[in-house]
Amino acid sequence: MTGFIDLYTEASTFLHRMDPRVKIVAVATLSLLALITSHLVYLLVLAAVMVVLILFGRASYKKTMLAFSYVFRVMALIVVLWPLFDPRGTPVLFGFGPIRITEPGILAGIATAARIFCLAAAWYLLMFTTSQRDLVRGLVKMGLRFDFGLSLAMSLRFLPTFSAIVESIKDAQRARGLELDKGNLRKRARDYVAVLVPTVITALKMADTLSLALQSRAYGARTDRTYMRELKMRAGDYVALLIAVAVFAIPATAKYIFSIPL
Amino acid sequence: MASVSMESQTPPKTVGAKPAKFVSPWTVALYAVLTALTTAVTMTLVIPLPTRGYFNIGDAMVFFSAFTFGWRAGMICGGIGSAMADLLLGFGFFAPITLVAKGSEGLVAGILGRTYKGATWAKILGIWAGGSCMVTTYFVGEWILYGFGNAALELPLNVGQVLFGGLIGLTLSQAISRYRNPNPKTT
Repeated sequence: MTGFIDLYTEASTFLHRMDPRVKIVAVATLSLLALITSHLVYLLVLAAVMVVLILFGRASYKKTMLAFSYVFRVMALIVVLWPLFDPRGTPVLFGFGPIRITEPGILAGIATAARIFCLAAAWYLLMFTTSQRDLVRGLVKMGLRFDFGLSLAMSLRFLPTFSAIVESIKDAQRARGLELDKGNLRKRARDYVAVLVPTVITALKMADTLSLALQSRAYGARTDRTYMRELKMRAGDYVALLIAVAVFAIPATAKYIFSIPL
Repeated sequence: MASVSMESQTPPKTVGAKPAKFVSPWTVALYAVLTALTTAVTMTLVIPLPTRGYFNIGDAMVFFSAFTFGWRAGMICGGIGSAMADLLLGFGFFAPITLVAKGSEGLVAGILGRTYKGATWAKILGIWAGGSCMVTTYFVGEWILYGFGNAALELPLNVGQVLFGGLIGLTLSQAISRYRNPNPKTT
């Protein structure tokens, strides 16, 4: 959990070549699909599809495990805790006072864990197949104001720098005898302030320099923005967009208009 | 250091072009830096817990941005910075909830904390109100996603995190305001 990680994995699969806008839409529709599905079997099928997609995207094993380590922990907790707070259902397996462990409760817990896996996998698919630059470009093309897009791109660029600055200031203060992992909460808070004050001062100085750099490069001088790299939707992107919308629209219609339980 | 303003400057007119609105370069630079700082602090300065997960002090940066640079900075930098940390840590599905939780925290803390010329009690009020926004949003979001048990388990953790982060953010904003020159024209 120290330092900075970029989930993006370089490769040239169809997922990497897909237009970032299509991928953003697909993540939204897949998340909604996972949220409206509540039957365990369908959720497991969806999870299997996600795993296949991750394999198609040639994700690196190490990064995937790193990204999913927290998700797996949350899933385990859901499987354990859900039945304790869900006393519905008839086949009671175990009862003690107000706590009733039932079979539907356990199944609902597993279904929720599977849903969390689907959600995490959908977002992980976006993050590991899209470079941060493409992501910002896609957002700007989808209607984000370009100055906020520029701000976002700059903050993504400075993220590793600031992580390194925080780490080195932490080490510098440790060398002066600061003990970050000791003492009560008040003392710890003061210790963290000793790390954060130099960090913030460095960052604000950097912001000054950055604003000068922006002005010297004539930021905002032209009212008509031109882009060096334009995003173009190819035929495959339209097909992918259609699939992404259909994957949500068909089950949603089935559930809410024809009231087929999902 | 120039004061932060979100006023749009009027760029020179170009014939036949759609006029683009933009904020001042200082605002772009400051927001970029504060967002990156919030994300970096959320991801790097973590206190590992023996039982589960981690305890981060990203809230300190949200409160600091809100108290020092106003509610817009608190909302945008706090919300987007924290959501970005979630995205980069593989918790992407949680990013929308974080965006709302931390964004509202920065918004409320920024509005309340700067009343009465940023008196300490106003800032404490801001931390209390903003913190309750964040804790409530997280509780509701986790209840929907994870179920009641997990949300209830996470609740004291979030309360502790927001109190600890608020304490750091308060001290930090007071320490930084001593270094910043409130009126640059006089020197």
